[in-house]
Amino acid sequence: MTTKRRQATVNRDYTPSNTDDLMIIKPLGAGQEVGRSCHILSYKKKTIMLDCGIHPGLTGFAALPFFDACDPAEIDLLLISHFHLDHIASLPYFMEKTNFKGRVFMTHPTKAIFKSLLSDFVKLSKISTEDMLFDEHDLDNCMERIETMNFHQQIEVNGIKFIPFNAGHVLGAALLEIEIAGVRILYTGDYSREDDRHLMAAEIPPCRPDVLIIESTYGTEVHEPSEEREHRFTSTVDEIVSRGGRCLIPVLALGRAQELLLIIDEYWEVNPRLQSIPIYYASSLANQCMSVYQTYIHMMNRRIQEQFSVSEENPFYFKHIKSLKSLQHFNDSGPAVFFASPGMLQSGTSRKLFDRWCSNPKNGCVICGYCVEGTLAKKLIQVGNVTEITTFEEGMKKPLKMSITEISFSAHADYVQTSTFIEALLPPHIVLVHGEASMMAKLRAALEKTYGDREDVSTTIYTPRNTEAVELYFRGEKKVKVLGTLAQFEPSNDTNVSGILVKKKFNYLLLDSEDLAEYAGLPVTTITQRQVVEYHFPFSVLKIYLAAMFTDLKFNIVSDDARESIQVFDAVTIIKESESMLALEWPANTVNDMIADAVVASIIQIELNPSTAKMIGSSCSHTHRAVPSKTQAPLLHSTCVVESDDARRDKERLRRSLLLLLESQYECVSVGKKEGTAADVIHVDTGTAKAVVFLETLDVECDDQNLARLIKNLCTNVVTSVNLL
Amino acid sequence: MTSIIKLQALSGAMDESPPCYVLQVDEVRILLDCGWDEHFDMEIIKELRRHVHTIDAVLLSYPDVSHLGALPFAIGKLGLNCPIYATIPVYKMGQMFMYDLYQSHHNMEDFDLFSLDDVDATFEKIIQLKYNQSVPLKGKGYGLTITPLPAGHMIGGTIWKIMKVGEEDIIYANDFNHKKERHLNGCELEKLQRPSLFIIDAFNATYQQARRRARDEKLMTNILQTLRNNGNVLVAVDTAGRVLELAHMLDQLWRNKESGLLAYSLALLNNVSYNVVEFAKSQIEWMSDKLMRSFEGARNNPFQFKHLQLCHSLLELQKVPSPKVVLASSADMESGFSRELFLQWCSNPSNSIIITSRTSPGTLARDLIDNGGNRQIDLIVKRRVKLEGSELEEYQKNQRDRRDENANKDEESDSDDDIEMSVISKGRHDIVIKQEGKQSGGFFKVTKKQYPIYPFQEEKIKCDEYGEIIRPEDYKLAEVVPEAEDNKENVVIKKEEEDIPEVTEAPSKCIVLSRTVQVNCQVQYIDFEGRSDGESLMKILSQLRPRRVVIVRGSPESTATIQNHCQENIDARVFAPNRGEVVDATTETHIYQVRLTDALVSQLNFQKAKDAEVAWVNAEIVVRKGQLDAKRMNVDNEPMDVDEEDSKILTLEPYPTTIPHETVFVNELKLSEFKQVLAKSNITSEFSGGVLWCCNGTLAIRRVESGRVILEGCISEDYYRVKELLYEQYAVL
Repeated sequence: MTTKRRQATVNRDYTPSNTDDLMIIKPLGAGQEVGRSCHILSYKKKTIMLDCGIHPGLTGFAALPFFDACDPAEIDLLLISHFHLDHIASLPYFMEKTNFKGRVFMTHPTKAIFKSLLSDFVKLSKISTEDMLFDEHDLDNCMERIETMNFHQQIEVNGIKFIPFNAGHVLGAALLEIEIAGVRILYTGDYSREDDRHLMAAEIPPCRPDVLIIESTYGTEVHEPSEEREHRFTSTVDEIVSRGGRCLIPVLALGRAQELLLIIDEYWEVNPRLQSIPIYYASSLANQCMSVYQTYIHMMNRRIQEQFSVSEENPFYFKHIKSLKSLQHFNDSGPAVFFASPGMLQSGTSRKLFDRWCSNPKNGCVICGYCVEGTLAKKLIQVGNVTEITTFEEGMKKPLKMSITEISFSAHADYVQTSTFIEALLPPHIVLVHGEASMMAKLRAALEKTYGDREDVSTTIYTPRNTEAVELYFRGEKKVKVLGTLAQFEPSNDTNVSGILVKKKFNYLLLDSEDLAEYAGLPVTTITQRQVVEYHFPFSVLKIYLAAMFTDLKFNIVSDDARESIQVFDAVTIIKESESMLALEWPANTVNDMIADAVVASIIQIELNPSTAKMIGSSCSHTHRAVPSKTQAPLLHSTCVVESDDARRDKERLRRSLLLLLESQYECVSVGKKEGTAADVIHVDTGTAKAVVFLETLDVECDDQNLARLIKNLCTNVVTSVNLL
Repeated sequence: MTSIIKLQALSGAMDESPPCYVLQVDEVRILLDCGWDEHFDMEIIKELRRHVHTIDAVLLSYPDVSHLGALPFAIGKLGLNCPIYATIPVYKMGQMFMYDLYQSHHNMEDFDLFSLDDVDATFEKIIQLKYNQSVPLKGKGYGLTITPLPAGHMIGGTIWKIMKVGEEDIIYANDFNHKKERHLNGCELEKLQRPSLFIIDAFNATYQQARRRARDEKLMTNILQTLRNNGNVLVAVDTAGRVLELAHMLDQLWRNKESGLLAYSLALLNNVSYNVVEFAKSQIEWMSDKLMRSFEGARNNPFQFKHLQLCHSLLELQKVPSPKVVLASSADMESGFSRELFLQWCSNPSNSIIITSRTSPGTLARDLIDNGGNRQIDLIVKRRVKLEGSELEEYQKNQRDRRDENANKDEESDSDDDIEMSVISKGRHDIVIKQEGKQSGGFFKVTKKQYPIYPFQEEKIKCDEYGEIIRPEDYKLAEVVPEAEDNKENVVIKKEEEDIPEVTEAPSKCIVLSRTVQVNCQVQYIDFEGRSDGESLMKILSQLRPRRVVIVRGSPESTATIQNHCQENIDARVFAPNRGEVVDATTETHIYQVRLTDALVSQLNFQKAKDAEVAWVNAEIVVRKGQLDAKRMNVDNEPMDVDEEDSKILTLEPYPTTIPHETVFVNELKLSEFKQVLAKSNITSEFSGGVLWCCNGTLAIRRVESGRVILEGCISEDYYRVKELLYEQYAVL
């Protein structure tokens, strides 16, 4: 087991040739904290954002994740794990107020709850803060853009594949398995491995991930067994109402509340003596969203599904629970069970009732959820013997006499669940997120202890802070499928394979060009070029001229055509269109284009140099000698006093070609005069050495012998090729 | 490398019999659908019987009888035993279809082809999937992956994609609908490019559909006219498939205040109508985007009906005030409430009967579609009637005798039952109080299980530091006794309620009589089948361009139509098997996998072409000893890919000597786009007769056919500039 720092140095030592292999995981929120989950994952030029939450303990812009540490325009895909505010609430801001253009996916229930949850959030923030992150209108726009995914459904966006698996926790919560170029990343979001009343335990994905991004909310704590805590819960509630008290259960509007409602409804069902005591649930939000729970039965566990199909009754049509629109409708007389949000007694209905009931020792409060630092609920369970509280609205001091019981129903994984989950997957890299720094450190120490001594696994654990990037290198293994004609024969050692490699969304195919359209859907085009050139001399002249240059000539291959024609190298066909016109026709490719250019050059040369043509035309038997003699002759007659037009043109062409060639080879090339002389030269500066090329003599002056030889070779090549024309 | 692929049509080939095919991929045999027709044709069963023991998996596409009807028989009576794959709605709704079918037949005859237990056993075997969920098969099917894709037509309707790792993709699509409907999305077949084998039905190949609006209006006017004339409308629909579309549509119509329908009633009548609607409510995620969005936004469950009344019997229907529109199953009118209502209503000319789908030839509904109304029809009427008079007495006597006999025989076990019951109801008490005066049998169905030994429930004793945990409720005797009685009463009352329908059923017999009825009412066929029509089928085929096509289910003419289309337009190998015939659709694709080395990749010069990148590779294959590659193992420690089973790994390494090759131009040129490219470089061009003329007509570019371009012109600088630009449009390799 290496620590993070050591791993980082190891990574630095390994300098990958290709930054393409670098994966970056960067929490923009929920790095060594709980709340505002938001992570950036980028690999192979694909960027994904996982979750987009706010910090429940902060307000306004301060509650947002550190969006400025990423470029929203670069993000291809945004995946949401579940509907809690700390995973979803900054989504409308991100989608509407930044230049994010990617696609957004969440599960069906998440989307169905998203709207009501966030309009509720908008209403609350309207009251409390000035800087509104977004409004109803933004929300509606978001709803239009958000796409839905179903569990186990594989979706591919832009080469990124992902599959959501059941995560437990809340309805619609998903573990996200993401695959980019063969590397698998599993993001747990919030998850629970416990099969409860309505949700199934988080699944273990069938494939082993390379990176596991996992929540660490509970660190090394261990939950009490579910039967026990359920029993404790029902008996506590029973006790409070039996002694004639009012039982307040502060809950988050959605999520655990539904589980508790199922438990209580069932308990009331089997205990008729309690049935006279009312159970209230005051949350218009939850009330709105009950239909979501009633609808997405198929995403819950077997138990609920069986209840649904056997009894033909929807278990989410509660028998004993009354929903209350607001406290005004509540007739506070005698014992009652009251579920109210929010879950941490920050404000709202639950706090109002708490303030009202707290001084009666008969009453009781059962705190069931996870409490964030700084909230009253956290204070109550942490300090223990609080005797006095300050009411929220009036600010009065009131004695606290009601009983306070904490029963953790939090659907986050505890240490036992986390370690079995990791044991089942054994990922080489684990990134811890969504946990207080201390919890995270404990979990990390515990995991390091477990896996540090083990020979068979090497696991590295990272605990990045917000905006701190974890850098991992994956040598993405590239596999290529050889298909079609190329694959006709069984592959064996040292066989040559050449063909076209097609790269499509990280998949490689190797194909013959014939099969390109068939297997890769890429059309292949053949281009035919037809060039018309003026030519006034007898066709025979051209024949002779070409025969001197090319070895493979065929004459009059178009049999049904009366026109004369020559074919050069089975590629370029020259047809005599009329007395003054030649047409060249060839299938375009690099080689043929070159041959065609050479042919065209010959034709032009005949046209421009009638004397040669006439000479050849008059004595065709000698032509074979005539042309070679021309090539052998030095092209640059510097000694010639009177240069013929021809010679001057040749010289000019040579210079141009040489300059072009040198320019393409070396960085710094310039034409000029040799210092002190009138000779035309080309200066070449490679950075390390300098050379001077005399254009008249083609001599090279250079300190570096190698360079001199190289340039000299170039010059001779240019001369021969130009002379050829 | 190459897989052997064979397909045999057990039913549903060259005719309109229900689909049932055996697909063989190498060693694996997959049954594609397992339909039964309305008359329970034993021919299908005969064929099926021969294959039953070789079948490794069943894939179901739709929940209706013609796609899964024979399955309970195959499992109950033929002993088919293999996993069955279907989407969640096909599972749920399929069950409803079969229950309704059973109940409908049971209501009129002694039905013994399969029992409800067979149905339950069948559906227990179903593995429920979601769209786009890839499932790798195990065992013999190793390497095969099946994926359900949305098909439209009915909720959960599936087009199956069967993949052999990397080489074959077989698509089985029948009865799909590419059009969006009110409650369903259309299928997205066009996303699947060039499948290697495409199995498609020809049922609609020659069929033309009226436009949806026209059909809706026709239905609407028919309903309004009939209702205004004080007549009733019978709409013959299926149990849990297409009925959803109609029910949703009609309920929406009723909600519209201006429709003038509020005064009339709307009812859904089949044996499972309540469940169908409940299940539909919980399957919103399988429905159309529009419905999903409205649910997500406003949480309006589209199947929370406001006007549609759910009925389970004719008695309940009578309570619905007339005139009314009744959606009754089944669509074929051979059984079920639709047939009974037909008999009741057909003689009255003010009534109207609407048939919504073409069922098999020979059914009453098909006969009405083909031959219309206003005539006399001879019908065989089957009924279950209550025993009366002497028959009843005789029956009761028999029953009594039997019961006495049973009572004598089972006296002891009976008392066991009672003890056991009290044990269960008392729960944790070890003293058993025997309940007296309760003699089971007779009209009550005995649902309790009988145990061969005295029941004994061991309780786990929980201990803490102080020893066994004491539960106060164990000692609260006074409270427990009345509570137990309460429970008992509740149970008894419930039982009576539950048993009412069974009581009416008990002393009965089935009669068969033939009757001639005069059909005076209006009979109309309005297509609400929700299938793609012929024209669209052809279009989809042209888009998909499958390599091979197997055409099934459809009249010989329709089959021939598709066959011609495929041969002419998409250059595919086409098979059109007859019933029972085996076609061999093996492909000759060659394939193998190699690993790319970084050395090679870094040398490559990738160029963009459409949505891919291409590069010319000149390489050699080198066999390397495989390192133990732990990375790609899954949780069960099974290798992920087949090729890693052998330890040698083929890699591609750069080949030292270059080998010349033909230049390849990858891409397709659109002249109109090229015109814009030219314009950007200040080269004028214009179209004339399909030829792009550039530079004042000195240059011409033409596309001769797809994939051939000719560049023609006088030699000039422009020529070379245009040539450069032209080459830039391609990835030149």
